[in-house]
Amino acid sequence: MKPINKLVQQEGAIQDRAIFWDEDIYQKEMEEIFARCWLFLTHESIIPDEGDYQATTMGEDSVVVARQKDGSIKAFVNSCTHRGNAVCFSDGGNAKAFTCPYHGWVFGMDGSLVDVPLEEQAYHNEIDKNALHLKKVRVESYKGFVFGTFDEDAPSLKDYLGGMAWYMDSFMDAPGGCELIGPPMKSILDCNWKNPTENFIGDGYHVGWAHASALEIAGGPLAAAKGNAVYDAETSGLQVTVPEGHGFGIIWEAAAALHAGPVYDAYQKWLDERSPLIREKMDEHREKFYRGHWDAAIFPNCSFLYGTNTFKMWQPRGPHSIEVFTWTLVEKEMPQELKQMIHADNMLTFGTAGILESDDGENMEQCTQSNRGYSTRQGTLYIGMGQGHEYLDPELPGLVSKGWINEAPQRGMYRRWAEFMEGKPWSELSTTAQLEQKK
Amino acid sequence: MSTSNQQAGQSVDQSTHFEVERFLVKEARALDEERFHDWLDGMLTKDITYQLPTQEVRYRRDTKVLGNSQTTYLYNDNFGMLSMRVARLDTGIVWAEDPRVRNRRIISNIDAHWSDVDGEVEVRSAFILFRSRMQRDQATHYGIRMDRLRKEEGQWKLASRVITLDQRVVLDKNIHCFF
Repeated sequence: MKPINKLVQQEGAIQDRAIFWDEDIYQKEMEEIFARCWLFLTHESIIPDEGDYQATTMGEDSVVVARQKDGSIKAFVNSCTHRGNAVCFSDGGNAKAFTCPYHGWVFGMDGSLVDVPLEEQAYHNEIDKNALHLKKVRVESYKGFVFGTFDEDAPSLKDYLGGMAWYMDSFMDAPGGCELIGPPMKSILDCNWKNPTENFIGDGYHVGWAHASALEIAGGPLAAAKGNAVYDAETSGLQVTVPEGHGFGIIWEAAAALHAGPVYDAYQKWLDERSPLIREKMDEHREKFYRGHWDAAIFPNCSFLYGTNTFKMWQPRGPHSIEVFTWTLVEKEMPQELKQMIHADNMLTFGTAGILESDDGENMEQCTQSNRGYSTRQGTLYIGMGQGHEYLDPELPGLVSKGWINEAPQRGMYRRWAEFMEGKPWSELSTTAQLEQKK
Repeated sequence: MSTSNQQAGQSVDQSTHFEVERFLVKEARALDEERFHDWLDGMLTKDITYQLPTQEVRYRRDTKVLGNSQTTYLYNDNFGMLSMRVARLDTGIVWAEDPRVRNRRIISNIDAHWSDVDGEVEVRSAFILFRSRMQRDQATHYGIRMDRLRKEEGQWKLASRVITLDQRVVLDKNIHCFF
């Protein structure tokens, strides 16, 4: 493996193609990124009652996240401490315990080993059940969004989100908060996990081209972007990258813009009614962010489109494959009818049969698969759009760029990727707080 | 159309079964051949509902709905939405479908009964859909479809379809194909 400063150069603008293909780099990512970062697990609204649980993965580690008797949420690795078998085989549900189907060890919903068959007769009551707890995952929530990390040294989830939290509050902290609707769709893409993350984090550039067909027939306010016919960098939106590696692009006044007809009308009415509450609770900036359409990612592999309201995890399955999990993001206080309309629209646009999702899939796959070629793989890739035009805004966290078509958030993501891959301790990783001191 | 049918639940007669089977075969052929307007205009009723719910992997005994997560439909379309999908394919700028995807539908195990609505037939059929793209890109989907067919002006038409796709994780980059 080449040194990290050769794999990502020029502040993230140049990447060696090997990072999308090589097995050793992928394994290093599992160690330095997926075993350390806070990874999205579920939303509190999906597991409201004691015993409710969801099975998911952190990197390629199978985990279960469950609501406890005291209302807290815990997570643990889904692998029996006896012979390693999975103890949970479902997507989720409600349970009192998990019983390993191999020898019948029983684990509580907190991951503790509570019962072992033939404990007296075969183990002579000598088994130390406390020591055989399922491997624990550290869990924290931000505004109901539940994340886990394997790293005891990781900062709090709020610090991990850094400046991104301030922006996401625009909707996550709306009165009543948010919820996710599932069950998640699951599908596969034969691409590296970084391809879709960089697509969501800031690739406004592809929208007018890759999605031209969908924009043409969907109509609505975003249709003007078809074929890049209309774009004003000064007034259309912003892009933001925070040192923690997260980022987004926003199109002003376009939250509902990919919805059409009665869904657009109902959603826009909701936004108009609720905007003053956001301003009151937060400020005018957040009101503006609340009313815009976001393409966004939380490093490393969680992405969402606020407004279209698709919420995704790109679960790595080897260097050239991912599983895509897709939920719908809605505000909890929306009328149930509006939630269901948005849920249906999310499926129509960014579901597995979605009219925009299918545009992206082939691009993601080929961006990865082309690097199969040895000679191709010796080259680099370039995302230098707008580099040097990022600026510090006195009132907005992170680095800001004008317009929603730029590549600053992608560069920020690869800069962060390099920091982790160098194996730096948390104390040496960049933070929004440090950047704020430069203002 | 709303009158109740005294034959509800009974297998259709041989001649009706033959018509239903021919309809499903012709429909599959129209879709295979990308004759989407023949499908929309000639084979679907205007009040069609077209649904494909996700499968969840759950323990048999556990049916609790979690939070607001009742059902997620990959397709939950009416005639207008299906028309929009076809209109998108008509734009000529759907890069993911050019070069074309070759879809081959195998329809089998056709079982038709009179429905509780007079003149409507409930049809259960199994399907396999093979998708081939580019050089060696392959995907296979299989499951069952529960259809309601209705005769309009002497022609059978599809009035509703619920597709059960057996895979939990859809082993394809998209399923923007009609089942």
